[in-house]
Amino acid sequence: MFGLIGHLTSLEHAKAFARDFGYDTLDDAGLDFWCSAPPQIMDDITVTSITGQKIHGKYVESFFLPEMLAMRRIKTATRKILNAMSHAQKNGIDITALGGFSSIIFENFKLENSPQVRNVTLDFERFTTGNTHTAYIICKQVEESADKLGIDLKKSSVAVIGATGDIGSAVCRWMDGRLDVADLLLVARNRDRLQELQSELGRGKIMELSTALPEADIIVWVASMAQSLQIDVEKLKKPCLIVDGGYPKNMGSTLKHPDIHVLSGGIVEHCLDIEWQIMNTAEFENPNRQLFACFAESMILEFEKWHTNFSWGRNQITIEKMEQIGGASKKHGFKPLDLSLT
Amino acid sequence: MLQLEVNPAASLDYSSETYKDAYSRINAIVIEGEQEAYDNYIQLGGMIPESKDELIKLSKMERRHMKGFEACGRNLSVTPDMPFAKEFFGELHNNFQTAEKEGKLVTCLLIQSLIIECFAIAAYNIYIPVADAFAKKITENVVKDEYMHLNFGEEWLKANFETAKEELQEANRTNLPIVWTMLNQVAEDAAILGMEKEALVEDFMIQYGEALGNIGFNFREIARMSAQGLSAMK
Repeated sequence: MFGLIGHLTSLEHAKAFARDFGYDTLDDAGLDFWCSAPPQIMDDITVTSITGQKIHGKYVESFFLPEMLAMRRIKTATRKILNAMSHAQKNGIDITALGGFSSIIFENFKLENSPQVRNVTLDFERFTTGNTHTAYIICKQVEESADKLGIDLKKSSVAVIGATGDIGSAVCRWMDGRLDVADLLLVARNRDRLQELQSELGRGKIMELSTALPEADIIVWVASMAQSLQIDVEKLKKPCLIVDGGYPKNMGSTLKHPDIHVLSGGIVEHCLDIEWQIMNTAEFENPNRQLFACFAESMILEFEKWHTNFSWGRNQITIEKMEQIGGASKKHGFKPLDLSLT
Repeated sequence: MLQLEVNPAASLDYSSETYKDAYSRINAIVIEGEQEAYDNYIQLGGMIPESKDELIKLSKMERRHMKGFEACGRNLSVTPDMPFAKEFFGELHNNFQTAEKEGKLVTCLLIQSLIIECFAIAAYNIYIPVADAFAKKITENVVKDEYMHLNFGEEWLKANFETAKEELQEANRTNLPIVWTMLNQVAEDAAILGMEKEALVEDFMIQYGEALGNIGFNFREIARMSAQGLSAMK
């Protein structure tokens, strides 16, 4: 059995969610209320592969809200994630993906040092960040969309924003090793990590965001934390492909120009309908088939019976592992969201 | 990057007057809670004759816990405020007694085996990381027993789920909001001991939700029953 640990995108979303699920008494509850809410299994999921194989899973709502980070309620945020993981484990889920901010919180606050949650010792082998699949899908989206737009990757500059993160560094490896792009523009906050990445790749230009953006034919946005973002459309190259793999995704609505093509990154579409209710509350055009690639990773691991933390730790994602998960992804009928679908 | 506080107990002064004052009430509640549990299990023994021996065994454990917590108070030179604690448990106590008189075994089990046990487990779990060394050891041992007590009620209610379901929902509606009133009453004292209200509530809801799940409620019913209590928190 696979699991997905997810969370709502905002306090407003939580209120709508409470109404949708018939908890009318809770729709005016404030942040304090959600800080006390226990993790809950909210959905039973069935996924059918194009091979005909069927698997079952559960959706675990952690009730973490991004406002908890904004209000610096770090203890609360970390408790939400650990409690949701413990809940997944106690319910016998073999492999669970940490969706949205869950893996970011796990990583940033080093929750691997807190494996004891009351009477449960977390077995980290049962969890995956899903980042390998996300990175693979983003790379495929770059490849397929560039082709569609007539952008020649071998002559292109690709800016990776958030290059030193787990997903960002994997994307850089693929851009270098598999796509052989002309230039890699590396943007991130931490200078030391940027230099480490540059020496690992043996290439790449370390740049500031404002100087990298106007030089890029393709922008891969995988910065982990929500940042206020001001991009001047006029200064971007035309055409320019932007793969928005950040969280939450909001570039599509803010960047309007006929030669600027924004694609939601790290999203897959399954070739068959998935039996679930929970995704109707997410903002996908086709919620029965579209989902975050990190979630799909736990499904793929379940299909293949690879019950292991396939994606774990920081900067461990190799091209080989991306190919491995990518092959299985294709085999079971997942494909990267493409430009024509948005 | 924001940092996570690693050792929350480090900033507590167990010998300060502020700490001891708050401890006098929290310690009293714990002692009274164990006393209530002792009495309740003996009464439950009368209601379920086939489990009488087991229930008497459980009640004896509660008595032992009570003595352990009395020692925790003495260790910090604190006199527990027992009149406060008696009043604190008053409403739940009365509801249990009324149910017992009416022969409502399911309601009695919900109050003692689910609500009081889950409340105790949550409080002990949140207390352990911030407890003084002496109390920590005692509480760690107690919490292991409490899981066993929770299990007794779960098993009985699970075996009788179909007939008990409706009464459980009714008893939940009446009694769960009382827990929040109780919690609000001691939130400030608990905070002085380093125990956060939101963590207590969450931990309680986790134990309680799991118990309801083990008994046989589905996740939608659990969410709904939890919401009935939580809405009193807003």
